[in-house]
Amino acid sequence: MTLSPCTRENEVKEILQRGHWPQACPAELRTHVSACRACGDLVLVSEAFCKARAQAAGSARLGSPGVLWWRAQLRRRNAAVERIGKPLLGAQIFALCVTLALTAGFVAFEARNGIAWLGWLQELPQAGSLHLEALWPSTMFSTGLSPMVLIPAIATLALLGGVVVYLAAEKQ
Amino acid sequence: MPWESVIPNVLARDAQLEASRAAGAPMDNDAFAGFYERSARSVWAYLARTSGDPALAEDLMQESYVRFLCASHPDPLVEGEVACRRYLFRIATNLLRDHWRRPRTSSIEEVPEDFFARPGNSAQSDSQMTLGPALMQMRPRDRQLLWLAHAEGYSHREIAQVTGLASASVRLLLFRARRKIAGLLRDAENGRQP
Repeated sequence: MTLSPCTRENEVKEILQRGHWPQACPAELRTHVSACRACGDLVLVSEAFCKARAQAAGSARLGSPGVLWWRAQLRRRNAAVERIGKPLLGAQIFALCVTLALTAGFVAFEARNGIAWLGWLQELPQAGSLHLEALWPSTMFSTGLSPMVLIPAIATLALLGGVVVYLAAEKQ
Repeated sequence: MPWESVIPNVLARDAQLEASRAAGAPMDNDAFAGFYERSARSVWAYLARTSGDPALAEDLMQESYVRFLCASHPDPLVEGEVACRRYLFRIATNLLRDHWRRPRTSSIEEVPEDFFARPGNSAQSDSQMTLGPALMQMRPRDRQLLWLAHAEGYSHREIAQVTGLASASVRLLLFRARRKIAGLLRDAENGRQP
């Protein structure tokens, strides 16, 4: 098939768009359309589609625009909540991972150096008083690290890590 | 008493409008209702005739409008209604394309009854009998191109914007599609003549 548009196609198109076809169209152009295949096709197809459009538009069953409006609002709000919730979830997962890693490290350390506080636990019913220092390994005190300093430091580190991850995700 | 406290609601609403405009928020409820009234019939006609399924057209039309509203820039006051309509047709075209790409899972039970027995006068039935079968013999993309060009009156450049095709391709594809459907329409008319 060769692409051979007629030079008068635009003229015919304009007449069709204005609704001048066929009554208000010059007789000479009507003669041309009946002889030219491209223009004949254009008229035939345009008339069929315009008729179909008018009929289809008349039979359209339209819903309420208000419902669509609220559906869109709801979708936008859900998307916004999801956007905000994603970095928060990431920060929570990160904090959980840090906590688990610290717990695992602590348990491993205790297992390697002997679980001293288990003995204290056994003595607890007889002791009658709570000795917090018994919960910490003896090596910790010998290196000068107090648990009262170490615990807040680790907690701050975990919190800051979470905040950093949150800010980075939000920036993205 | 400060004067701002006398008319707090007016100020709040103005501030809200200003904020929404600055944030690039879309049109308000009333503006959307007007735009919907003016454009929904032609979008529905496009979807119904190119898909051949009025129920699907209804679903896709609703989804088109929801997506249109969720998009960040469709404001007729800023871009003009013609551009908004074109954007809407673009969404509808993409949704139709996605639908055609999906594997077909619907059964005959899912098709509504009125799809088979729609009311219509004789002229309507006549037009449907001629153009409907001819359209269904065309490829989906050709149906879209033909509808946009001959029912909506879009230029090649506008069709290219709606469909995402190159303008030169639209011209060629449209020429071929028009020739083919014209042949089918002539055959149908000749076949119906006694």
